[in-house]
Amino acid sequence: MAGFTTAMPTSFKVEILKAVHNFSNPGGNTFKLALGKASGVLTGTYGAATTSYDNLTSNSDELPNGSGYTTGGNTLTSVTPVADGTTAVCDFDNTTWTSATFTTSGGIIYNDTASGNPACAVLSFGGDQQVSSGDFQIQFPAATASTAIIRIA
Amino acid sequence: MLSANGGALLGDIRATTVSGRGFTPEELVDNTLDRIIFISASADPVLRQQAEAFRKSIRGVLLNYGNQCVRSNHTTIANRLRDVGHPELTKLLEG
Repeated sequence: MAGFTTAMPTSFKVEILKAVHNFSNPGGNTFKLALGKASGVLTGTYGAATTSYDNLTSNSDELPNGSGYTTGGNTLTSVTPVADGTTAVCDFDNTTWTSATFTTSGGIIYNDTASGNPACAVLSFGGDQQVSSGDFQIQFPAATASTAIIRIA
Repeated sequence: MLSANGGALLGDIRATTVSGRGFTPEELVDNTLDRIIFISASADPVLRQQAEAFRKSIRGVLLNYGNQCVRSNHTTIANRLRDVGHPELTKLLEG
């Protein structure tokens, strides 16, 4: 069934071990969050098997350019990974789309620097999120061993 | 799994929308506060009490500066509206 399921792509786990991604800031890669369309109009399925931002575009499932959204998504501000106890944690600052009018059901965090735009996380918003002439914000969790957006325990 | 007790894990994000307006300073501060001061559910009660007091204090500081940012931005926009010959539109920024 078409739609987003929150998951860490299996390909990302392999890429961590191949040193594809660098979350350091400054000096690391550029990471973006691209938004998908509303659940009723999606054609693709996104989850652990998703490998790239290109999966979203090849299905024409990304929100169109305009109305507060720029194709490719928002650039995320990465916080250099640190250890919290024995767990490595990665963090991004909250990101906001302003003056926006769209409906989205999920998104993909991907590495815009690495070849092939590899996916780092697939996010489901738990249903359609509709914004009309307003703001849409994604809040990332606290960077702790039990909550951080990406962590290796 | 990277070990018997570990693995690569994904946290939970939260999506928030407001329509017909932008976020207020109160909303932005509340959305951000957990990222600045996160109090563990298993924290010692005394430490928790201190952390919550500090969190309340930081919220007030952030809110104060957030409101100042809004007022300063209104000043900038009002001047731009006057510069382009629409001083009457500055009333929209009042209140």
